Amino acid sequence: MSLLEVVDLRKSYGTHVAVDGLSFSVEAGEVFGLLGPNGAGKSTTMMMLAGLRSADSGSVTIGGYSFDSGRDELKRILGVVPQDLAIYPDLTARENLKFFGRLYGIRGSTLRERIDRILDQIGLTQNADSYGRTFSGGMKRRLNFGVALLHQPKFVILDEPTVGVDPQSRSHLLDCVRGLCSEGVGLIYASHYMEEVEALCHRVAIIDKGKLLTCGTLDQLLSDSRADLHLRVRGKRARISPRLIGLADVEPETEVNGETEVQVVMHRDRRDSSYSINDRLILVLEILKQAGTEVLSMETKEHNLERLFLELTGRRLRD
Amino acid sequence: MNASQITRKDLLLLFRDRRTLSVLVALPLAFIAIIGSSTGQLFSQAGAARKIKVGVVDVQHSEQSAKIVDEISTVSALEVSSYDDRPTARTALAEDKIHVLLYIGPSYDARVDALEVFEVLHLQEGRLKNKLDSLDIAVESGSFLANASELVREVVFAKTYQTFADTVVKKDKVLALHIKKATDKSHARSEGQVQELPADSAESSGTADSGAKNFNSIVYQTVVPGYTVMFVFFIVTFMARSFIGERDLGTLHRLQLAPISRPGIMIGKTVPFLIISLVQTSLLFMAGRLLFGMDWGAKPLLLLPVMLCTSMAATSLGLMVAALVRTEAQVSAYGNFLVLTMAGISGCMMPRNWQPELMQQIGLVTPHSWALIAYDQILNRPEPEMAVVIKCCGILLAFACGFFAIGWWRSREMD
Repeated sequence: MSLLEVVDLRKSYGTHVAVDGLSFSVEAGEVFGLLGPNGAGKSTTMMMLAGLRSADSGSVTIGGYSFDSGRDELKRILGVVPQDLAIYPDLTARENLKFFGRLYGIRGSTLRERIDRILDQIGLTQNADSYGRTFSGGMKRRLNFGVALLHQPKFVILDEPTVGVDPQSRSHLLDCVRGLCSEGVGLIYASHYMEEVEALCHRVAIIDKGKLLTCGTLDQLLSDSRADLHLRVRGKRARISPRLIGLADVEPETEVNGETEVQVVMHRDRRDSSYSINDRLILVLEILKQAGTEVLSMETKEHNLERLFLELTGRRLRD
Repeated sequence: MNASQITRKDLLLLFRDRRTLSVLVALPLAFIAIIGSSTGQLFSQAGAARKIKVGVVDVQHSEQSAKIVDEISTVSALEVSSYDDRPTARTALAEDKIHVLLYIGPSYDARVDALEVFEVLHLQEGRLKNKLDSLDIAVESGSFLANASELVREVVFAKTYQTFADTVVKKDKVLALHIKKATDKSHARSEGQVQELPADSAESSGTADSGAKNFNSIVYQTVVPGYTVMFVFFIVTFMARSFIGERDLGTLHRLQLAPISRPGIMIGKTVPFLIISLVQTSLLFMAGRLLFGMDWGAKPLLLLPVMLCTSMAATSLGLMVAALVRTEAQVSAYGNFLVLTMAGISGCMMPRNWQPELMQQIGLVTPHSWALIAYDQILNRPEPEMAVVIKCCGILLAFACGFFAIGWWRSREMD
């Protein structure tokens, strides 16, 4: 049985469906990346995983416990690093840790030892007795992270834990995540920083409009779309774009040395095309010739998570 | 158990927030002192009650007119000073240095000498019909104490009458003899009574002192509980801010993530304010007693359940408001409006018995009124009615339960 099991999770707000039948699982010692544009249902999913929102239907079990049965047991094995800081600025770092530790029933020398260990882990030993309000953004993030680990959870939810921190703090936090993973802790990691997800996560799920678009290891996700073909063409976008529908995408025009140029992008795994890449290339070159344009260069670009993300979720701006 | 950790944390944060503490304790104390002192009672002694200042212009300058000044100087409610001429006294009156001007004209002695015996005995029929005007005496008052001139006029006439009545009556030899006999007889009887009842006499003198003392402290018997109840309910805004602060900081989610139930969080967040409220009430009542000579009544222990029930109602109301408002601005707008309105209609700002009957009835919809009724019963009645105090405490607890229930119901929306 997986450490986290999410089965057919659904949540609506009025007529708006925020989460629409999500199912996935996370193993112990695994970092699971959850990606999605703004409004994709990511935060609602995280809230339901943390027990802060109740699902309309479906189930969440962590370590065999669910929020319906064994709520307290589940809370004791769950750690959450929220996207927004959740520390008391008028308490010192040590007081913050002590308060949250006591909430989890940790007392006495055990609490003191764990606080010292966590302070060392998050690099705040020297500032243990300084008030949270005096900390830099990165220090606050690290304390925010440390608070979630004090009770030694078996599963940790990280919701964009590195937003707005300096490279040093980010690197430190990512090392902490790797450390947890090596200790057998299961983690779900939501972030907009694709390079972090690529560097950390064993498996990644991309969701949009509440639905799971794809899920798998990075190799699995990128194997079908290893490279895209980019043609640099001299000519007007309006002249060629309508003719290439279904075959290639035409990016916005640019001015180079007084000449108008466009990039024609041919995705290797274009799902809305019935042609193979070879047939499409022949067709595209013929159309460009007929349109009176000139192909200036041709190159392939390696696919990555960000490109896959944009391809799956589109380039339309999200609120 | 975990709720106590939240209580400890909030108490620590509250004690670090000096501004909140000063508003909860120092501000009501300052209010009580200001309201008390504005009624002239701050640090007052028995004889220092407010006096009417009378400026005397004695143009007659005679033995008879001097007697009038001596007589009115014996009245403890009057503070008499002399002026050389009427214009100077009028300037003093205009500048509020004196409240009343007493003018004894140059014809006073002549008019007194002209009085007949029957005119002294039948005031409504002779030349004394117009009282002071008949004697060339005038009383003028400033706008500040317009009504006081009537009182001073009556007092001055009575004292003046004492100075000349005996002299005029003695013009009739037979009547004078009768009066002398009657007076001697009366004196003899009075002396006997004094010898027989020395204790009563001493007591009556003591009563006069305590009367003055009661008059001084009675202001605080009303002001201290009134403003204490009003400021106890100001805890509502601090509680609401604490809950909203917890939500805005994101720590409310952290609390919800911890193995502690929702009631545990609510109780943990409410208890610190209940403690603060009880400390606040106790300090204000102690200050009322030590600084302002307030009396805690015949059964001061009864104050404890009223304090507790009032604080419970206040903190429960705070919880309800915290669950209803969404932002700091709403706390300021709705919280302060609610607290001040309730204080106003309940009689915290002015004594309930000054309010019209209808307002007193309307005030009963607030917990403040019931707290004030209970405090009035304990502080101002020689023998407090237990039934009234118990009823008030019961109603305060009912308010507390009602507010808590609404807060509990609405708290699901808080995150």
